[in-house]
Order: sequence, then C-alpha cells, then structure tokens
Amino acid sequence: MLNMATDSYLCPYCSVRLETFNSLKAHVRAEHSAEPLPLPEGIIQLTINKHAYQLYVEPEWMLYYVIHDQLGLTGTKMFCDRGACGSCTVIIDGRPVLSCMTLAIECNGKTIETIEGISADHHPLIDAYIKHHALQCGYCTPGFIVTAKALLDHNANPTEDEIKQALAGNLCRCGTYPQHPKAVLEAAHVLQEGR
Amino acid sequence: MTMAEGLGSYQKLREEGQYHIGGEPLNITFNEIGKRGQRRLDGYEKATGKALYTRDMHIPGMLYARVLRSPYAHAKIKLMVTGRAERLPGVRAILRFDDPEIKGRDLNGSYFAQGWARPKLAGWALKPVHLVLADEAWYEGQPMGAAIAADSEAIAQQALSLIHIEWEELPFILDQEEALKPDAPILRPGAESNEIHDPRKYYEVGDVKKGFQTADQVIEFKARRRPHLWAGAEMPSVLVRWLDDRLEMWVHQQQPYIAKQLIAEWLNIPMGKVTVNTVYQGCSFGGRGNPANHSENGMNVLATLLSKITGRPIKMLFDRRDTFFGESGDMAISDFKVGFNNNGTITAVQIKNIFAVYLAATGIDHFVDNTRIVNLACEATPVDVSIGPAWWARCEHLTSCLSLTLVLDHVAAALGMDPIEVALKNDGTHGHDTGYLDQYKREHGFPDRDSLKECIEVGKQAIGWTEKWHLPGTRKLANGKLHGIAFTWDHNWDDTRGTGSAAVMIENDGSITIIGQHVDIGPNPWTPLCQIVADEIGVPFESVHIKPWTVDTGFVLMSPDGSCNLVTNGNIVRKAAHKAKQMLLELAAEKFEVASPEELDIRDGVIFLKADPANSKPVREIVARALPVHVSGAFWTQPPIIGWAWHNQGIWGQANETDRPRLCRQAHFMEVEVDPDTGQVEVTHVVNVNDVGKAVSPEGVEGQMYGGTVMGVSRGTIEEMIWDPQTGVLLNGSLLDYKYATILDCGPIDTPFIETGLGHGPYGASGIGEATATIIPALLGPAVYNAIGHWVDDFPITPDKVLKALGKIQQCSDE
Repeated sequence: MLNMATDSYLCPYCSVRLETFNSLKAHVRAEHSAEPLPLPEGIIQLTINKHAYQLYVEPEWMLYYVIHDQLGLTGTKMFCDRGACGSCTVIIDGRPVLSCMTLAIECNGKTIETIEGISADHHPLIDAYIKHHALQCGYCTPGFIVTAKALLDHNANPTEDEIKQALAGNLCRCGTYPQHPKAVLEAAHVLQEGR
Repeated sequence: MTMAEGLGSYQKLREEGQYHIGGEPLNITFNEIGKRGQRRLDGYEKATGKALYTRDMHIPGMLYARVLRSPYAHAKIKLMVTGRAERLPGVRAILRFDDPEIKGRDLNGSYFAQGWARPKLAGWALKPVHLVLADEAWYEGQPMGAAIAADSEAIAQQALSLIHIEWEELPFILDQEEALKPDAPILRPGAESNEIHDPRKYYEVGDVKKGFQTADQVIEFKARRRPHLWAGAEMPSVLVRWLDDRLEMWVHQQQPYIAKQLIAEWLNIPMGKVTVNTVYQGCSFGGRGNPANHSENGMNVLATLLSKITGRPIKMLFDRRDTFFGESGDMAISDFKVGFNNNGTITAVQIKNIFAVYLAATGIDHFVDNTRIVNLACEATPVDVSIGPAWWARCEHLTSCLSLTLVLDHVAAALGMDPIEVALKNDGTHGHDTGYLDQYKREHGFPDRDSLKECIEVGKQAIGWTEKWHLPGTRKLANGKLHGIAFTWDHNWDDTRGTGSAAVMIENDGSITIIGQHVDIGPNPWTPLCQIVADEIGVPFESVHIKPWTVDTGFVLMSPDGSCNLVTNGNIVRKAAHKAKQMLLELAAEKFEVASPEELDIRDGVIFLKADPANSKPVREIVARALPVHVSGAFWTQPPIIGWAWHNQGIWGQANETDRPRLCRQAHFMEVEVDPDTGQVEVTHVVNVNDVGKAVSPEGVEGQMYGGTVMGVSRGTIEEMIWDPQTGVLLNGSLLDYKYATILDCGPIDTPFIETGLGHGPYGASGIGEATATIIPALLGPAVYNAIGHWVDDFPITPDKVLKALGKIQQCSDE
C-alpha cells in the first residue's frame, strides 16, 4: 500500500492515492466498508471502562462470559440465566444491553461500560443506592445501577414514572423496588448540582 | 447470673446462654441502636459490584461440573452407557450412580441431622428414599444417574447429552387428591402408600362438635394454594478443593456450619479437616436449606467426589431451570368449617388440609397462637406427588396465615361486619382472651401495651379505612374498575429456635471486632450487630467491625432464617460485649488505680471514673498500654481482651412447646382495582403495620416490610408453577415463563412499624424477615372479594379465576 516512490498510499480496492496512512484507513472504511488491517479470526478489540482490550473469543461466547469469566469483572451478574432479569446489563455505545444475550464476537470495536467503570468514576448513583437501601442481597444491584446510569446519560431529569419504566426489565427478588426511584432521583439531583 | 452460680464452666456457659422469658429493665443508652441513616456495612461492596458471591469464585486449574437430571416425571434407568461422553475432549471425570464411591449412599447422613431430617425416618418431612445419585427418579428434573467434570461448563453439559440411557417409564401423578385414591400407583420407591406419615396429622383442642352446635351460624368453604417457589437471585454453586486429606469449600449456603457437619459426616472425615468459606449469597429466603434438595448437601458431595477423582478443584453449577425444584411447602387443598356467633365471636374452626409433597405447618397454628377460640381441629395429610421436594421459604407459616385470614374474613363477610371488629373480638392466645395476655405481660415484666389495637389504629389512619371501607362489590371507580379494600392481621414473627456463638475482641489498638461466621442473604445483618456492640460497650459505631467470613473459626452466628437472625445474634453479641467490657474495665481499674472495675464506665470510647467523670482515658490508651511497651514500639502482642458467648433463643415450636405467647402483632391493609372486563387485579396501595418490638435498624425493618410485600403480591397474583398433565414435565422452569413482580407490579407501600418492646429478643425486639411476605398473599383473597363481591379462594388469583367468579367465563385455563 505504501508507494515508496511517490510517498503516498494506494488503496488496494480502487487504487486511489492518499497522502497519509490514516486518510487511507478512513477511505477504506468509508468507501469499501472494510477494515484496512483485518484482525485475525476470533480476535476482537473492545474498550471497556476506558481501557482498550484485544481478546480472542470463540464464536459462541457471550459478552457476559468474556466480561465476568475471562476479564474478572464480576460485578456483571448472572441471575436468570438468559434474558429475563437485567442483572448482566452493561452499557454498549450508550445503550443498556443484556450481556448474556450478546455475542462477544459481535462487539468488535464497541465501547462498553460496566458497573466497575461506573463506580470508578464515583457516579452519585453508588452513594444514593447505599443511602436509600436500594439493595438487600445485592446480587441484582449492579444491573439496576448500570440501567439507571444509562437512563441518566440520556435523561438528566427523569420523572418517577420514567425511572420505573427504565428499570422494569430488572428483577429484584428481595423486593427493593420502592427505593430505586428515590435513589435515582437523588443521583440525578446530585449530578445537576454538580453541573 | 444467680442461676449459673455454682455450676461448672460448661454448664455455666449453657445456662447463661438460655433465653429466659420476660421483658428486662433496659440499662443502656441508645446512641447507635435505632438510629436512622447509619451507612450499611455491606452497601459499598454491593453497589459497586465488588461484592463476591459463590458464583463469582474461581481457582486456577478448576474444572466445572454438572449433574444429569431426569427428563421424566417417574422413570428408572435400565441401562446407562457413558462411553461417548467419556471420549468427548475436555471431559475429565464421570461419576456414575453405580460407582462404588456412591452406590446406595443416601443424600445426607443421619448423625447430625435432627430426627425428622434423617432420610430413613423422615416420613413427613422429606422424600425418604433419596440417594445422592439414584437410578430411579420420582420427579422430572431430579438430579440422578451421573455427574460430569470437564474443562468448561459447556463441555460438561454437552457430555451429559451424550450419555445414552434406556429408561423404564413409570406412572406419575401431579394432583394430591388423585394420589390419595385407593387405586393410585405408588410414586415413591419403597413406599407402601402415597400418604406421607406425619405424627402431627391430627390436632384438636376443645370440642369442635359442641362449638358448631352452639354457634349462631356455620359456614363451609374450600380453598387451594397452587405451587410456587422462592427462585432466589443467585443460582446454586459450590467450589471445592482437596489439600491432601483436608477439604476446602466455598459454599452457597445459608447455614454454612450445617453444610460442614453434613459433608464431614458424609465423607467420614473430621470437621476439623474441613474449612468452609462463605461469601455473599444471592437471596434465598430459607429455600436453600432443604436437606432433600441437592442444592443443600448433594451438590457438595458430588463436587468433593469429583475433586477427589480428578485431583483438581471443582466448581459445580446449577442453571436456572435446576433451581425450579423445591417448591414452597404450602401447596394445599383445604376444607374449612367455621362456627360463629352473630357478634363475630368464633366458636369453632375445623380445617382439613391435603398437602402436596410436604407440609410445613398444619394450618391451625395461628389460631392457637393468636386467638381466644376454644374449639379447634385440624387434619393435615401430606401426600406424595410427582414433583420435587418442597420446603419452607419465607416461610413455613404460609398455610397458617392463609387459614387465619380466610376464616376471619369469611366470617366478617357472612355477617356483613367490618373485619377489624371480628379480629378484635377473637384476639387472644391459646383459647384465652386479651385479659390473659395483659396479665402475662405484667407477670413477665413486659410493657402494658395492646399491640393489635395499636397496629390497627396506625394502619386505619394510613389507608383511610373509615372513609374507604365498603360492602363487597359496591364501589365502581371512574375508570370502570372495581375497588376493593381489605384487612388482615396476625402475630408478628417471634420465632425462637435461633442458636449461635460469637466473640467480641478488643484489638491491641482499642478497635473492636466481632468474630463469628455468618452469611448474608440481604437483610443488612451486620450493621445492627455493630450498633449493639457499640452501645453495649460505650464506643462509637465506627470503632466496631465485623469480619463474618474471614475465617471458619468455629464461632457460628445464627443463620439468617427463622426470623431470628437479629433476635438471636443480637443477644449473642450483647452477652459477648458485656464480657469483653468487663475485662476491659478490669484492666482499666489497674491503670486508674481504683479498687474495682465497678467504679468505672465507658462513654463515647472514653473510660471514666463514675465519681469523677473528668478523670478519664480513651479506650485505646488503656488497651495499647496494657503491657509496658518498649519505647520504640510494640515488641509483643497484648493479652487479648475477648469475651465470647453462646445463646439459645429457645426451641423450635414456638408457643406450643415453649409455652410463651407471642405478644407482638401485625396488621395489614390493601387496596386493589379489579378490571371486570379482563379480570386483572392491580394492587394499588398496601399498608403494613408490624410491631417489631424494637427496631435496631429502622431502614432494615422497612426493607423487610416492603420487600416482603412485593414478594407477597407477586405470590398472590402471578406466581404459579405449571406442569404438563400429559408428561409431568414442568412447563415454566425459567424466569421468562415463571413471572414474578417487577417494579411496575405493586402500588405504593407504607411501612409504619411500631415498637412496643413486647418481643422476646434483645430490647424487646421481634423478627421481621418473614412475616410480611407470608401474610400478604392471603390478603389478596379478601381484597378481591371486597372488590367483586365473590370469593376466589384459589391462589394465585389470576384473571381467569376472577372472570369465572364474575360469571363471565365458564372454565379456568387448567380445568
């Protein structure tokens, strides 16, 4: 691709010349929907909690398995076993997603946030959940907080009803539900005060 | 103290550990106890995801194990061939039912288990014929046949599917009345009848026949509770490894010490060679404690055997469907006959309960505990059917609560009376009226308060009872729905079986540590223990710490069940704190150069002379300078200041066996809206009033109240396990198909608890963990009745049953 004679970069798909390697990469992605330097089969690149990872994954591995078992980020929990409880929720490119239902290999290039990242950032949801006892056994708690964080990212000033709707996909067998809107509203308030 | 004088040290310890009935004069200043806003000690770990649960544990080199489960409701293995599974790459060991390590071995031993839990004797409590790996299954999903260890969970699961089995299918029955018919096939291997022997089958006091004859009216009705289960958050797992002949385990158990007893006995190794580690536990509500279920001892046995065979650590995992065996023990078909006078006084109650699989409580118990009704009779018949072994889960009183609520509310309905009036007409205990209770309180040093009346007054105000209560089926709302409002009551749980031990140690720097193994399943148990020790010694809350699972020390706090977690453990740490404080003051007396520790006391972490409070020294200064330390630093440790105690809050059986009446009451109020077109029941408002005696952690109390309400509403309206009548296979063994309540499924819940000091626990406290979830499902019955004017005595109260009661459909979905 590097043409030494002209000191420019030749696109392998359409032979157009580009001045820099970065502009070649951008061109290949934009015009040919392809990766300029394809990764070996099974390797994915992820950004999790602001850290870059390059990982080998089997095609059938779920993102939950990679995060929890391979990377040891055990705050992401397996509760229902598949798609019913929200405890394995992570934020992928800004959206709350069930990691137990997401193939890891499809997450190449994604930016992911887990409870560990949210707590490392000292998000006010953490203190609000502790203060309001919006947790009992605590097993489902990270999933609730991740879901609530995704809500607050999009809606800084949610109503109680909006909070309930956002959290309706998360199960808590201890029945802590009445405390969650209180905790989320308080966190929203703290965030707004800080702005 | 006087009772213990002259006894040997062991007898003295035992005597000092026994609860003696009676209120006590409080010689304590509540600084930390009862304080709101105390940051819960488990909060940070849980909210940040740093809390580790058994499921999260991982040891390098560990293998994963899964166990085979019966695909049939009743079947026997004729031939099992495991060759293909053995050849699958990554499979490291297969344990077969006919291997010598396990062949013919029962699930549990019999030495430590209480009489009723011994497999061969446990006619009424458990499925008696219960091998760890049987070759005959009596319910679909039973662990049996083989267990496999492999490099991954997926390989272990795939290997199970490669086992070739020739089955002999056998007849099954799902309904307990069918199973009792004379020509019904015997379901349980080796049994002579499908009726499970129960020594408590008949209960009668007074003369019910006479009670019916003297009654102004007699009513009869039938009710039914269908199967449901606790379905805790964390799926069961265990991680084990052998170090030569020593065993180390990470267990998912509410009762880790019992797990240690059971596994040591099964393996025939000393308990001293077993180390049981516990980490956080995803909620379990008592459901994990079923000795007939593999999630108690069975999976531990299989994991330890596979670890022995492979020489590798083993993590055995259950998946979600594997948890769908172990129904709550209240699956019953009930016949009621009630005699009463026109003023609401009940003269006789007769109940016949036919339980599926197992019964928890016969169903009459709460009439004995809570009422002045003289004539009571109950016949309880537990029957084998082809579903998994049931157990109590928040809790064994479900049937008794349902009975008390339905009987009193049916009587109120028959008379057109306010159910609160009927409750107050019958409140009492053991056939005595409240005058007897008043006298009892006086004689035993309890406060002179009427718990039920106080609960009712608070609850009536909170729900607006006087304005809102109406005759059944008479209030239609503007939205077209039918409004229902209901009330029920009971004693507040004061379970008495708790036993445990712990130490309170004052470290060399003056900080205080509670030592005692304890698991947490959610109710914030450790913060209150630290609050109690802080106030009992006289130091700030921040000086007290607890490390409940750092080490398997042999000090064992009461497990979190039976509503006696804090009631028992509060007494344990209180007694241990007194002993540690005494040692501390003895040491301080030397430093103050006074004759007796009686001359000293402690407040806010400072020891002072009572006669001259200005003469004071911080605890730290006394402890750190216990020995004359070299000026350059501590070259030796100080003699430990440690007090330890054992406490037994009583024996199981409550009022009947300990002859101590429950004095705390609870009252519950509920509003519903019923859609007459769809039959949908919406719970729009609940008010719980629990007399908890004394709230050590107010937020903890409220958490159990609203949490139990959510679970109760869920049980009363949507939760039901459904088996295919054609095959006996469970149809809804997942949390997608077995629904339980989300944040949208219950309206506002008010939790105005009261504190009368009438409990048998420390400072007059009583339990709170189980009461609400157990009563609320029953309250759905009278609430729906009040809305639609027809009884739906079949739980859960689903829309089809409501529509049938309204005459809008002829048949329910399962008829």
